[in-house]
Amino acid sequence: MSEKPKVAWYWCASCGGCEESFVDLAERLLKVFETFDIVFCPVAMDFKREDVEKLPDGSIAVSLINGGIRMKEHEEMVKLLRKKSNIVIAYGACSAWGGVPGLANLYNLDEIVERKYLEIPTIENPKEILPTKKTIVNIPEAKIKAELELPEPLPTLLPIDKVIDVDYYIPGCPPTPDVFWNALQALLTGNLPPKGTVIGALQRSLCDECLLNETKPEKLLVKEFKRVEKAIPEPNKCLLAQGFLCMGPVTRGGCTALCIKANMPCTGCFGILDGVVDYGGKAISYFGSILDYSPMEEKEIKKAFESIPDWIGTIYRYSLPSAKLSHRAGLKRSKLMKEVFEI
Amino acid sequence: MSEPRIGVYVCHCGFNIAGTVDVKKVVEFAKNLPNVVVAKEYVFMCSEPGQDLIKEDIKANNLNRIVVAACSPSLHEVTFRTAIKEAGLNKYLLEMANIREHCSWVHHDKEKATEKAKEIVRMAVAKARYLEPLEELEVGAETSALVLGGGIAGIRAALELANYGFHVYLVEKSPTIGGKAALIGYIDPQTKGAEVVSKMIDKIKECPRIQVLTNAELIQLGGFVGNYNAKIRINPRFVNERCTLCGECEEVCPVEVANEYNFGLSRRKAIFLPFANAYPPYYAIDYRVCVKCGECEKVCRFRAINLKEEAKILELKVGTLIVATGYDPYRPFKGEYGYGLHPNILTLFQLERLLDPDSPTKGELIIGGKIPKNIAFIQCVGSRNTTPGAKEYCSRMCCTTAINSAIKIKERYPNTNVYILYKDIMTYGSDETLYEEAGKKLVNFIKFEEKIPKVLITPEGLFIEVFEYTIQENIRIPVDAIVLSIGMLPPRDIEELIAVTRVSCGGEGFVREAHLKLAPVEAPTKGIFLAGCITGPKNILESIRMGSAAAAKAMALLSKGKITIEPMIAQVNEEKCSGCAICVGVCPYSAISIKTVNGDRIAHVEKALCMGCGTCSAACPSGAMQHLGFKDLQLLAQTRAVFGGEVHG
Repeated sequence: MSEKPKVAWYWCASCGGCEESFVDLAERLLKVFETFDIVFCPVAMDFKREDVEKLPDGSIAVSLINGGIRMKEHEEMVKLLRKKSNIVIAYGACSAWGGVPGLANLYNLDEIVERKYLEIPTIENPKEILPTKKTIVNIPEAKIKAELELPEPLPTLLPIDKVIDVDYYIPGCPPTPDVFWNALQALLTGNLPPKGTVIGALQRSLCDECLLNETKPEKLLVKEFKRVEKAIPEPNKCLLAQGFLCMGPVTRGGCTALCIKANMPCTGCFGILDGVVDYGGKAISYFGSILDYSPMEEKEIKKAFESIPDWIGTIYRYSLPSAKLSHRAGLKRSKLMKEVFEI
Repeated sequence: MSEPRIGVYVCHCGFNIAGTVDVKKVVEFAKNLPNVVVAKEYVFMCSEPGQDLIKEDIKANNLNRIVVAACSPSLHEVTFRTAIKEAGLNKYLLEMANIREHCSWVHHDKEKATEKAKEIVRMAVAKARYLEPLEELEVGAETSALVLGGGIAGIRAALELANYGFHVYLVEKSPTIGGKAALIGYIDPQTKGAEVVSKMIDKIKECPRIQVLTNAELIQLGGFVGNYNAKIRINPRFVNERCTLCGECEEVCPVEVANEYNFGLSRRKAIFLPFANAYPPYYAIDYRVCVKCGECEKVCRFRAINLKEEAKILELKVGTLIVATGYDPYRPFKGEYGYGLHPNILTLFQLERLLDPDSPTKGELIIGGKIPKNIAFIQCVGSRNTTPGAKEYCSRMCCTTAINSAIKIKERYPNTNVYILYKDIMTYGSDETLYEEAGKKLVNFIKFEEKIPKVLITPEGLFIEVFEYTIQENIRIPVDAIVLSIGMLPPRDIEELIAVTRVSCGGEGFVREAHLKLAPVEAPTKGIFLAGCITGPKNILESIRMGSAAAAKAMALLSKGKITIEPMIAQVNEEKCSGCAICVGVCPYSAISIKTVNGDRIAHVEKALCMGCGTCSAACPSGAMQHLGFKDLQLLAQTRAVFGGEVHG
């Protein structure tokens, strides 16, 4: 019996959803175990960094990496995996374009830490303890005394292709089991597109597979922009035509329009299409294009746009770090970086 | 396409460019840009030797892309395209770098201008690397024309077209052609507009190629240049060609309204003849006010009236459309210079009608029951920002018309004092002689500036108070009648016209020409031409000339029987298009529709309709819609170059 191809699965700044999607393969998971030899998978198996280091270069057939690069540790690990792997796949929106955590690129580290450790309503931190570079852990009963060191944070979150060379992308937040399965099939059969492209999903935008596309009027023009928080969409009618900011037209298809089937507009987790330069730029340009501004006063147009409180969070929900303008200016200057991590 | 081999040609344009830009330095810079095989300069690239230089280089160096750094592409792009085509290259493999209008003409600092010229050339080279050969397309075209508006400009255009053998549909909204020129105005002191209109109408009567459709309006325009489908609604006239103009119907008609053909000076019945020389020469029933009592039908001995007539829809196929729907006279608001508050305050249009032999006073100047001893014209009513409701522009015809009328009054009523209160006298060109003549006839010219005249209605009579600008004194003039020289407004229904024909609105509410100097008389939509006051105020002569010009342009298009389509238009990548339809809504020319191809919804661009504006390409969320000649790839290369990035991909 020939040796099974080796697979590594690593998480960077991840929420766990991508790992969940792996489990969602359900019975197909058995096939995965049958076909591949998993050599590294921090979420489920006890392999250490040294185990990967010991492997010969290029000996891992495929490394699947989810989550964006937020800390030095992530950067080091993906570089190591790149060296050891034949194919590296950015798995999920975060590793491909930054994902939701990428919206943190609008804030510097001090603001992020303050928000996370002090301000959030669900946080109880009366002593106002903030992260420190080193922590002494002393549990005498267990005879544990150690010094732990936090990995150094990076000023911004990066998609993994800004750090290493990526062969393929599997889109989604998280990728659907079918998309993952399609991608695995492509990997197994070797039926792979040119390097640097998306596998497992469609080459057209979501509208292509959306059942509501047929219900679009001849001319798509809306009087206002609506949010599902404030209005209930009519069923069986194109959400965009109703004024809901559906990202379907600008987003890659392949999810089978799952959200739309639940009467929710697409938020864009399958990301950018080939040949489009900037996801959010394209999105805002088509929202601008469908607003029926001709009978409107300038004031009303302004009001229509101001009805959406968070434009960046809407149009770059999954892709801010890979946008042409990928972060707020001056993020390198933060107290945390300077005083705590002494960078 | 093989590896780009680019030739860069920098023009001196005499001193136009070389005076401000160091051409030699630009050439040296260009030589070092990637893929540039040759870079040369010449004193006039557009000259025969300049073009030959490019042609020879294409052959000698096997060049496959050309960058000409010279003037605006709107000036010489065609010249150089033709040149490279003669050398065997596809003519769209040319990129113009505009270092004249965009650089040398607007800068003084030679060093900085030279740097900018280099950047412009660098951008052009970056784009040129990605240029693709494109082919023009040809489609068949109809050889008939639709002229919208039966005023003097429309009539002139129709006659020109018909004279050269083209079939013309002349569509007029009202029951008669002739427009306002038939009602008012002198072309010169000897010739009345009405006479000219009558002569033109006589010619139309003789011409079998002109089909006159009155009471008709264009309600839908589909198709594209050369192949327009026009839907015309013909509103019922209720009176047919058996009418002998006996007038008995008019006597029994119970409905009376203000007569718009006399600008409200008199009243007319619901069944009426617009004016003496109206064409077609039958009575018409105003379908908007007729109560269908049937009295006229009963009294008509010639069975010329049929009240059961209904609106008809006519569908026409035409190659071109001339829009000549004219203007509306300015409507003074109540109280503007006393308008509407005193019967002796009338508009210039009303006065013109009054002086016409066909008028209620048979051409006599009788206002308020008698011949006025003192009559004053107030100029610029509704024009040149005189009152809050007034427009900014000069209406061009009011000064000449008022002076003409003043001369006529002086000739016929030497004892009447005539005053003309003006801001500036705009009797331009040969009309200036009228101004002089009026002076000789002792018409009193009174100049006002920012402070406009005040009309006082008192028990003692009418007075005008004005600060006379030349003598710098307030004066008070007792008058018996006041004539407001009202200007021109865009027609009331211009919104509908724009919606149906897709012509575009200019800054003053009139319709805009594609380019005043480079594409006069043309609407931005191909195959649609403009004539007369629809593009802004004009006098009768100018309207006639514009009618002829529009016809000439229409004929140039119709005579070929086919249409060449520019290839720099939108193109759908069907592999990428998801049929999201965003492009459909943004297209100003309705050139895009969604079609089903192999079960997939795909955007479809009607090539002949696409004007290459690029709106759809910008709006397309998936990058499927690309503008040939301005593809994302090409523009991004250019953008990267302007920010100093790599010229390579």
